[in-house]
Amino acid sequence: MVNITIDGKQVSVPEGTTVLRAAENAGVVIPTLCDHKELAPYGGCRLCLVEVEGARTLQPSCTLPVTPNMVIHTATDKVKEARKFVLSLIFSERNHFCMFCQVSGGDCELQNSAYAEGMTHWPLQPNYTPFTVDASHPYFVIDNNRCILCRRCVRACGELIGNFTLGIEERGANSYLVADLGGPIGESTCVSCGTCVQVCPTGAIIDRQSAYNGREKDTTKVKTICTRCSIGCGMEVLTRDNRVVRIDGDWEASINHGLLCSIGRFEPLINDKERIPTALVAGTNGQKASTLDGAVKEAVSLIQTAEPAAALITDNASLEELSLFSQLFGGNSKVKTGVLGGNGFLQMEENVTFTSESSLSAVTNCDVVILIGADLAANHQVAGFMVKRQLPTGSKMIMLSDAKNGFSANADAVLDTSKGLELALKELIHGIKDESASPAKYLVNAKSVGIIVGETAGSGDFSVQSGLIKDLSETLVKSGKATYILSLKGGANGSALRQFGLNHSMDLNGVKTVILFQGEDTVDQKMIQKLNSIPNLVVIGSYNSNLAARAKVVIPASTWWETSGTYMNIEKKLQESQLITRSTDDIISMQDTLSIFGKHLGIELNADWQKRLISTTGRS
Amino acid sequence: MSKPKVSSDWLAGCAGCHMSLLDMDERILQVLELAELRSTPITDFKEPDVTGVDVGVLEGGISNTYNEEVAHKMRSRCKTLVALGDCAVFGGIPAMRNFFTIEEALRRAYVETPSTDESGKIPSDPELAVPTKVRALSEIVPVDVFVPGCPPDADVIFYVLSELAQGRKPELKDELLHWH
Repeated sequence: MVNITIDGKQVSVPEGTTVLRAAENAGVVIPTLCDHKELAPYGGCRLCLVEVEGARTLQPSCTLPVTPNMVIHTATDKVKEARKFVLSLIFSERNHFCMFCQVSGGDCELQNSAYAEGMTHWPLQPNYTPFTVDASHPYFVIDNNRCILCRRCVRACGELIGNFTLGIEERGANSYLVADLGGPIGESTCVSCGTCVQVCPTGAIIDRQSAYNGREKDTTKVKTICTRCSIGCGMEVLTRDNRVVRIDGDWEASINHGLLCSIGRFEPLINDKERIPTALVAGTNGQKASTLDGAVKEAVSLIQTAEPAAALITDNASLEELSLFSQLFGGNSKVKTGVLGGNGFLQMEENVTFTSESSLSAVTNCDVVILIGADLAANHQVAGFMVKRQLPTGSKMIMLSDAKNGFSANADAVLDTSKGLELALKELIHGIKDESASPAKYLVNAKSVGIIVGETAGSGDFSVQSGLIKDLSETLVKSGKATYILSLKGGANGSALRQFGLNHSMDLNGVKTVILFQGEDTVDQKMIQKLNSIPNLVVIGSYNSNLAARAKVVIPASTWWETSGTYMNIEKKLQESQLITRSTDDIISMQDTLSIFGKHLGIELNADWQKRLISTTGRS
Repeated sequence: MSKPKVSSDWLAGCAGCHMSLLDMDERILQVLELAELRSTPITDFKEPDVTGVDVGVLEGGISNTYNEEVAHKMRSRCKTLVALGDCAVFGGIPAMRNFFTIEEALRRAYVETPSTDESGKIPSDPELAVPTKVRALSEIVPVDVFVPGCPPDADVIFYVLSELAQGRKPELKDELLHWH
């Protein structure tokens, strides 16, 4: 520990701490612009200058490590003068006229810094050099005229996402933000995660959806979780007048530390799918509007008359919904149960007891990461960011995948699985024992290995594959490597399916009635083909589809932000998804629909889902 | 002691700051109790007294030679000069045209807009003021008090005028300081 004095306060901080972080610990506020908690210190804006006794000049506190008995002053006249001067230089460099800027009025860190220093004007005027505005991206706009060159976006793109799309061209005052080698951002390697938008301190990168939709202070912020995949990223949703304005990553969330992918951050806001507004029951003249109760009654009579029946539920359903579903249909020998989106992986998880499953951070922070049948460019993208950002530090990535995998361009070695995952696994295990063959050469000097088992893994013989994955992990452990394993679990509640007995495959042959608790999920082509041969279809969903159009009964379902629920994240921690906006009275949650089913089926439902859970790793 | 005299005028602005001044409603009577309003663009007298006033208030940036003249006249006839609003303080909305040349801006205004027909001509009468780059008031004359805001709230203007009328220099900070 190092003892220092900041503004007269004695503080003791670990060696290597920067003066800025030490000041934060001591409750001393030092203004910054280029600094960001999740990013490495950069020292670009010079707003955080402080006076250090014995030092010839003012020092940037963000890049200055503490030394024993350092005496620091953060609020002397000299420091305040320097801050104003730094801000004057920044303001005079480009177009920083607040009156026509989207983020003015509380959302701009540059403006807030000037207010904090009591600046009423700029002593220097800008030279009015126009810079480019890049509006080629569907989700955000880059306006270089508003840029203060803090490079938070560039650093976030590289350090946090590992994508290195953003960079700076030219030098000094001519510097400007570019994507890749200078083309439009909309046609670049950008993965649209939006982290650059979230970290931008000014109006240089603005989100199209929330722009000019009111100031941040006029919105309501609710912390919730993303229910688009099993990771369960923490997010902060900004709403205004029962309308979602913007989604930000939650920096405090332990699983994603502020990162989101485009599926969580942008896609919910540009959703133009047609909602199912009311319950429908098919008669002789097509579908007619019905009460919710009447529609459920009709569905129940189909289950009871057109046997055998099957019930399917999306793996994005909440624990409450899964619990009710398994109580309603699980014990009924005449109704088969299954999961929509359920794939081979679910069966595999049944066979491989991944008792030693690790955390997402442990499995991605390894010398070598082995991805087995996981396309982290398409799904579970945040896990992909965490893997990719380690690569520049010397980490290696081995992939077992087919040619269609969009993530394989990042891999150091790819083992083709087109002839079966089993062969590829055997080749890898053999290589490790051999210590020579590629791609196992990357493993020779590795001290830690992370294994991520993806969703497409279980497309062959599950028991053989899971046995081989176990072998692989045991081989690595035997050769003295710290080995971490984590399976991606499909939908938002993929982790919990097994605990409700819903992780088995289902044969729809001969089934006459299917109750499809689709929610917001889409149904893949393979499943649509299977369902097309089912005479009686009941769809409980949010959006119109061909399936809903030919269903005997259609019941509207609320979206994830129109209801609340509990989810088990990728690390099997329980998290709450919050109610964000209210739907119309005709649209109810699947949970409420399931309760009505209980009433008509004459089954007494127990709302206590927690008793039905076998195991969790606690709450997040 | 006689009441301090106040004069105001507007330059390259939208008159919004003067509207905001009127937005202080009945409190303007309190200001008038403390100060004597001499010339303003919305009253009969248009120019500050030749014998001088105590406080001069200017709204808007400097966009042509006429604005320069008005600014110099106000500066020479007042003891304390107030730059009122973002245009006077920074250049503001009119300064957006600085990212183009004067010729481009004039062509856009008089020839290219959808409402001008093909005979649209850029005025060139020698009696007209010559357009310049838009500048903040402080680039032309020394300014004593900066009151940013687009427009500054009526509360801010009331505070500034009542402080000046009582012989104090207003200090804008916290709630009173905003640029938007």
